[in-house]
Amino acid sequence: MLAVADLAKRYADVGRPLFSGIDFAVAAGEIVALVGESGIGKSTLLNCIAGLETADCGSVHIGPHALDMVRLDEAARAALRARNIGFVFQAFHVLPTLTVAQNIIVPLLLARVPSGEHATRTQALLERVGLAGFADRWPASLSGGELQRVAIARALVHRPALILADEPTGNLDPRTASDVLSLLLERVREQRAGALIVTHSQHVAQCCDRVLTLTANGLA
Amino acid sequence: MNTLAWWLIRAQFRTRRTATLLSMLAIALGVALGYAIHLINDAALADFGRAMKTVQGDPDAVVGARDSAGGVPVATINAIASDPAVLVVAPVIETRVRVNSVRTPVRLIGLDVFSAAAVMPWLLPRQDDRSTTGGILDGDVYASPSLLAKLGLQAGATVTLARGDREWLTKIAGDLPATGPDDLLLVADIAWVQERFGPNEAVGEGRVRLAPEVDLATWRTALQARLPPGLLVRAAEDDRTRVSNLSRAYRVNLNVLALVALLTGAFLVFATQLTAIAQRSTQFALLGVLGLSPRMRLLQVLLEGLAIGIPGAVVGLGLGYALAFAFTQILGGDLGGGYFSGSTPSIVPQPAPLLGFLALGCVASLAGALYPAYLNRVQPLAQALKTGFAQSRAAFSARSRWLLAALLALAAFVLAQMPPLFELPLAGYAAIALVLMIGVSSAPLFTRALFGWLAKRRLPAAQQIAIQNVAQAPLMAQVAASGLIISFALTASMVIMVASFRVAVDHWLDHVLPAPLYLRGKATPLPQELLDALAGTQTPFARIERSAQETLVIDPQRPSVALLVRELERDNPAARLPFTGPVVAPPADMPVVWISEPMHEIYRIAPGQTLRLPLRGHDVEVFVGGVWRDYSRQFGAVAIGRDDFVRLGGRFAPSELALWPLPGQERLASDWLAPWTDRYGLELADSLEIRQLSLSIFDKSFAVTYALEAAAMLIGLFGLAVTLAASVWLRARELATLGALGFDRRMLGRAVMVEGALIALVGLLIGLACGVAIGGILTHVINPQAFHWRMALTIPWPAVIAGALLTLAAAIVASRYAARQATRLPVARVLASAD
Repeated sequence: MLAVADLAKRYADVGRPLFSGIDFAVAAGEIVALVGESGIGKSTLLNCIAGLETADCGSVHIGPHALDMVRLDEAARAALRARNIGFVFQAFHVLPTLTVAQNIIVPLLLARVPSGEHATRTQALLERVGLAGFADRWPASLSGGELQRVAIARALVHRPALILADEPTGNLDPRTASDVLSLLLERVREQRAGALIVTHSQHVAQCCDRVLTLTANGLA
Repeated sequence: MNTLAWWLIRAQFRTRRTATLLSMLAIALGVALGYAIHLINDAALADFGRAMKTVQGDPDAVVGARDSAGGVPVATINAIASDPAVLVVAPVIETRVRVNSVRTPVRLIGLDVFSAAAVMPWLLPRQDDRSTTGGILDGDVYASPSLLAKLGLQAGATVTLARGDREWLTKIAGDLPATGPDDLLLVADIAWVQERFGPNEAVGEGRVRLAPEVDLATWRTALQARLPPGLLVRAAEDDRTRVSNLSRAYRVNLNVLALVALLTGAFLVFATQLTAIAQRSTQFALLGVLGLSPRMRLLQVLLEGLAIGIPGAVVGLGLGYALAFAFTQILGGDLGGGYFSGSTPSIVPQPAPLLGFLALGCVASLAGALYPAYLNRVQPLAQALKTGFAQSRAAFSARSRWLLAALLALAAFVLAQMPPLFELPLAGYAAIALVLMIGVSSAPLFTRALFGWLAKRRLPAAQQIAIQNVAQAPLMAQVAASGLIISFALTASMVIMVASFRVAVDHWLDHVLPAPLYLRGKATPLPQELLDALAGTQTPFARIERSAQETLVIDPQRPSVALLVRELERDNPAARLPFTGPVVAPPADMPVVWISEPMHEIYRIAPGQTLRLPLRGHDVEVFVGGVWRDYSRQFGAVAIGRDDFVRLGGRFAPSELALWPLPGQERLASDWLAPWTDRYGLELADSLEIRQLSLSIFDKSFAVTYALEAAAMLIGLFGLAVTLAASVWLRARELATLGALGFDRRMLGRAVMVEGALIALVGLLIGLACGVAIGGILTHVINPQAFHWRMALTIPWPAVIAGALLTLAAAIVASRYAARQATRLPVARVLASAD
C-alpha cells in the first residue's frame, strides 16, 4: 500500500538535511510504528508521505495504482489523499461546526463516493467504533476519547489503502488511549489497510507489526 | 461537493452571525444608496422628459431663435410649411404671466390648434359637446388640471393675466386633460397671445413634422444653410441630450459616491472573510489534508462571500426602492442639485438596472472575498493544521512597498493632470482610487515603524502587550485600519472640499451682492411704471443699477448660455464682476463681453479672443475682455454692458434691480417698494437674506453626500470592531496564558482597547493624509471638470481634527466589543483545549 524509496528532505532555511535515503514499505493489512527522538523529523516524514510537504528527492507510491506522490502537483495530491489515505491526529481535528455524522461523511464527499452509500457506511462505522446514536451530536459535547473515535471512523469510512496516524493517543489518558488504540488497530486490520503510526509511546509501538526508528543517520 | 460547500456556508452563518449580518448590512446599504439614487434620478429625468414631451410634443425638428428675445419670422414659418418634405409646422409662442395676482408666474403657450393636433396633441383642450375650436379662437384660455387645482379655479372662471404692468381679462374655458400632475400651464390661440405679448410678425418656435421618407439629418443641414444666422434648426434628440447633459455630471458624481458606500461594504466583506479564514484556518487545513483541492478551498471562500452578497444585495434593492419612494414623497425628484426641483416623479423599477445593482452587490462581496480566498488557497496545510493561521512573511519587502507607494503617487499625480474624458472627470476618480490604495497599502509600513519603535520603550504591561501585538501582526492591523483609512479619508476629503467651496461661495457672494437690496420680477420684466418712478428725484435711493437676462444657444447640444445685460463701466468691469485674471482692454470700436469661468472652460474661449454671439437675428462679433467667477450658472454666462447691448440692437428690459438706499433710510426704502411688490408680484430681498438662502441651498445640495459619508464611516467602524473581535479569538490561547500568569480581566480588556485605539490612530493619521490629498483632487480636478467650478483649497482644521477625535472615540467604543470578549475568555478551558 505504501512504498517509499530514497526519500530526502532538507531544512528550508538552513539547507541542512533533515532526513535522507529513506526506504521502506507498508503492505496491505500491515501496521508499522515510526519512532524517534523529538525533532528528528517524524512528522515531516509523515507530511512528505501524505504530500503535505514536498520532498527534495525520492518517491512515495501509495495505493493500488501506486501513483508517486512526489511527482504530482498540488491538486493531484489532494485527489490522491481523498481516495487513498485516512488521517488520525493527536489533536483529533474534528470540525466543530459539523455534526458527528457530517464529519464522518466529509471523506466520502471528497472521494466522490455515491451519496446513496453515505448513510449506510456512516452508520456502520459509528457502530463499529462504539458511537451508535451519536450521529447528530456536536463535537463540543464529546469527550476526548469519543472525538478520537469519530476521527477513526472518519479515517476509515472511504476505505482508504493507507492510514497515517500522528500520535493518535497522545492527548488521551492511559485507559482511553488503550481503548482507542485497540479500536484503531482492529478496524485497520479489518479493512486490510496499511497503517503508519508515528508515536512516542513504547506501548503503541509494541502493539504494531513492525517498528521503524528514525535517527539522524536514517531509518533503522 | 455542493453538499460540503452548503454545510460550510450554513456553519459560517450559524457561528459568526454578528459579523456575517454586519457584512450583509454593509452590502445592503451600499446597494440601497446606489439604487435609490439611480431610481430617483431616472424617474426625475423621465418625468422631466415626459413634461417636455407634453409641452414640446413629438416633432422631428424644432426651428427657433438662438437668442431668447428673438423669434422666428412668420414668413420663415410659411416658407418651411411650403417645403414638400414637411408634413406640418406647428408655430408656438411661449411666455409667462401671473394669474389673478398670484406671485408665481405660469407658462402661457400660444399654439395653432390645427397644426398642434399633429405635433403636440397633449396640449390640446378637452373635446366636449361645445365647439372647443371656436372657443380657443375667440380668446379663451385653457388651464392644466393641476394649475386649476392650485389656483382654486374651475372651468368658466374669469381671470386676470398680468405681465409687467399690463393686464388682460379672459376666461378659463376648460382644462388640458393630457397634461401631467406637475404641469402648471395655460394654453391659448397663438394669434391671441401674439397680439398681446408679441413678438410682432414672428413666433417663438416652429415645431416640424417631416414626411416619413425624408432623412432628418440631410433636411436639417439643407435648411440650416438657408436660414439666417440668428435661427437654429435642432433635432428633438438635441433637446433630450441637452436635458440629460444638464444633470449628467451631478448624477455621475452621486453614483460615484454611492459606489464608495458599496466599496466600504466590500471592505467589510473582506474583513469578515479574512477573519473567518484566520479563525477557521485549522479547519480549512484539515479539509485540505483530507483531500479538498486548492481550487475548491479558494471557491469555498468566494461562495461564502457570495452567500453574504446575494441576500445583502436583495435586501439593498428593497431598501433602495423604499428610500427612493420616501425621498420623492418628502423632497420631490431633486437630490440637491436643483435640476429637478418642483417635480414628484413616480418610481418605476426597470429590470435591467435592478439586475445591474444586484450584480454590483454580488461583485462587491466577491471582490471583498477575493484576497481571503487566495490566502486560503495558499496556506501551507501542515503548518496551518499545527499552529493555525500563519501570517506569511510579507510578499514584498518594506523597500518594495515604499517604491510601490511612490509609483502609485506618481500615477495619481499624472492622472490628476489629465483633462476630462467624455466630459467627466474619470481620470480624477481614478486618481482618488489610487490615493486610497496608497493609504491602505502603506498601513503595515507605518504600523511596523511606529509600533516597532514604541515596543522598545518601557511601558506598562497592558500597553506593552498591545503594542507588541500590533507591531508583530501587521496583516490584521492593516485590515482593521484599512476600513478606517478609506472611510475617514473620504469623509475628510468631502469636509475639505465642501469647506473650500463654501468659503469660495461666501467670498463670491460678497462680490456679486454689493447692494443692500435687490428687486426682481419672476421670469417677467419689471413694470415700466416702477422704472419711471425710480428714475424720479423723490426716491429714498442713492443709487440704482438695472440688469436684464436673456439666453443664447451657442451649441444646440449644450444647455443655453445666459446673457447678462448690466450697467457696467466698459473700462472698469471689475467693480461689479469678480474676475479670476487680468482684464484685457477691448479695441475702441468693438463691443466687449466678459465670460464666466464655466463658459471659458466649456467653450475654450480666452480673454483677448473674439466670440460670435447670436443677437437679434445676427451673428455679432464681440471681444472677450476677461473671465469672471460665477457659481450660479453652471453652463456659462456672458456679461455685456447695457450701452454695447443697445448699440447691437438689443432692447434693454430690466428684470432685476440692485438698490442702495440713502443712508439711514433703509426702512423707508423697503416701505417705498412694498406697494410695487404687492401689486406686481415682485420679489424684494436684502443681500443678507439672499446670502443666507444661497448658502442654505448650497448646504442642502450636499445633504445626500453627507448621508453617504456617514454610511461609509459606520461601515469603517464596523470593520474595526469585527476585526478586533476576531483577533481576540485568534489569540485566545495567548490571552488565556496571560490570564493564567496573573493578568486580571481588566488588564486584558485594557490591552485590547489600547490595541484598538492604536490601530484606529494609525488609520486616522493615514486617512487624514489621504483625505487632504483627495480633498485637493476634488477641489482642483473633480469640481472644475464636472461642474466647471474653480476655487481655492481651504482646509478647516478644527472641523477635521474634531472629526478625527470623534472617530477615535467611536473606535475606542467599538474596541470595547472585542475587549469584552477578551475579558470573558474561560482561561482554564482555553488552555486545556487542543484547538
